Amino acid sequence: MIQVKNLYKEYCVAQKGKGLGGTVKALFKNEKKIIKAVNGLDFHVGSGEIVGFIGPNGSGKSTTIKMMTGILTPTSGEVLIDGRDITKQRKEVVNDIGVVFGQRTQLNWDLRLEESFELLRHIYRIDKKEYNETLAVMDSILGIHELLNKPVRQMSLGQRVKGDLAAAMLHSPKVLFLDEPTIGLDVGSKFALRKFIKEINAIRGTTVILTTHDLGDIQELCERLIIINNGVMMEDGNLSEIVERIAPYRTLVVEYYDSEVPSHPKAEIISVSDNIVRYKFMKSEITAAALISDLSATKPIKDVGIEEAGIDEIIKIAYTTKTTDGN
Amino acid sequence: MLNGRLDKYLYICKIRMIRSFTYKFEVYGNILMQSIIMITTAFFWKALFKNETFENGVTADSMMTYTVMSAALSVMFTTGVERRIQQSVEKGSIATDMMRPVNVFGIFLAEDIGNLIALIVQNLFPILLIGSLLIKVPVIVSLSAIPMFVGSLFLSMAINWLLAAIFGMWAFTAISMDALFQVKKHLIRLLSGSIIPIWFFPAWLSDILNLLPFVYIYQLPLDIYIGSATNDEICRRMLIQLVWVLVLATLYYLLSKKVLKKVMVQGG
Repeated sequence: MIQVKNLYKEYCVAQKGKGLGGTVKALFKNEKKIIKAVNGLDFHVGSGEIVGFIGPNGSGKSTTIKMMTGILTPTSGEVLIDGRDITKQRKEVVNDIGVVFGQRTQLNWDLRLEESFELLRHIYRIDKKEYNETLAVMDSILGIHELLNKPVRQMSLGQRVKGDLAAAMLHSPKVLFLDEPTIGLDVGSKFALRKFIKEINAIRGTTVILTTHDLGDIQELCERLIIINNGVMMEDGNLSEIVERIAPYRTLVVEYYDSEVPSHPKAEIISVSDNIVRYKFMKSEITAAALISDLSATKPIKDVGIEEAGIDEIIKIAYTTKTTDGN
Repeated sequence: MLNGRLDKYLYICKIRMIRSFTYKFEVYGNILMQSIIMITTAFFWKALFKNETFENGVTADSMMTYTVMSAALSVMFTTGVERRIQQSVEKGSIATDMMRPVNVFGIFLAEDIGNLIALIVQNLFPILLIGSLLIKVPVIVSLSAIPMFVGSLFLSMAINWLLAAIFGMWAFTAISMDALFQVKKHLIRLLSGSIIPIWFFPAWLSDILNLLPFVYIYQLPLDIYIGSATNDEICRRMLIQLVWVLVLATLYYLLSKKVLKKVMVQGG
């Protein structure tokens, strides 16, 4: 559905020297510096996938999304949506994509939501019957019916994002791009949004590309994860596989009856507080059951718990490990 | 097919029209301001002319018609395109507009047309009424002048809109847009004959002005309306007017391509 081939984006930034001298100098001679925002991305997204596109701030994810949606022209490389080049055939391809930017609305500030929708209906030339059907589906998932008569400027952020989502889906795009859709939303709105993404993916088979900093979004929605940093692909794969590979360990939390704690050759003690000890162990070396039985053989155990490596930890590791050897 | 493609712009036009009809305060303010300008200009000409006749047959009476019609035309030459371009660049909405299967400048034009329709109903008729009651009923010089007047008025509006759009596109490179807009506004006000007809200027100056596009916004349709030019002269000037429309349209087309490309390379 989406094919990204050897994508590069360079920005030319004028560099000014420091202080007055630098400013004066810049009047005569501009030193240009080239910043590589996206540095050779290659990937393929299949139809009906939900892909989490993540990376720290300034990693190039928004630039990539902008190139994938046809707003930015790549320096080199190409993006094919359903086999067509977004840069060369923009006017046709935009009919197949829907985009929501969490940080800015595409709805008309002064218009009532319904008028904005009606405008989009004319712009995309959507058949009235089809439009009504889509609107009914959107209403059943998002409950936007009561918002239709409200001007966008009077809406809360949560309501506005709902409006934006419905607006992006009106022309039934094959691909939906969501750039930080949950930013600034409360728990309830986040939940509604995740439900929406899951349902349109299930009902309409829409391919979803999602950038987010919200780990809950990733955990709940994305089977596949693409992690980028400094414009370079860090990881691309199944969420659980990445977890398995980057963090192949678990943490066993054991509570004893007193503060004298035993150690184990295959587990590392990472913290001790009073009677509670945390053991970090490799899944490949020892099973949790074996570790528990070994420990309980040396000392009576009051309580145990097992913690998986958190997704935030994984992302932190993925962000840092390759950046050091990459650049 | 064409109908289907135009449909979206018609809808944008309609929405803009409805919105313009709701801004009551702006309307009253505009009518008041235009009326004040119109009335003071009229008194100025009255005092200046007494009962004399100007060399090209213009009398105090036809000067009154000129003044009222100039105020009426200024309503029709209201454009929002330069502000719209500036705002959409500042807010970055130009990028999101480009994700849609529409021409961004087509949207701006449709909005200005919608706004114009509202202005004609809300502002043009009241100003003509006030002018007729307080100054003079502005009667066209002869019925045969009507088609020429309407024709040149359309070309005037085209020049006016294209100039506004071209100035608006400077928003991408200029540092202070407001200053630029002021410059444009006063250039048009002084050099187009909207307040002072250019036949009052020295010959060398009016010769230069006749080569610039500004006089073809106000002066030409007004000259046709009050009959202060011969038919031959009108035909010749309408031809220049048409040439200006074509030149500006070409310039506009090239600039818009360049500007959109720049947005797409730099990210708005």
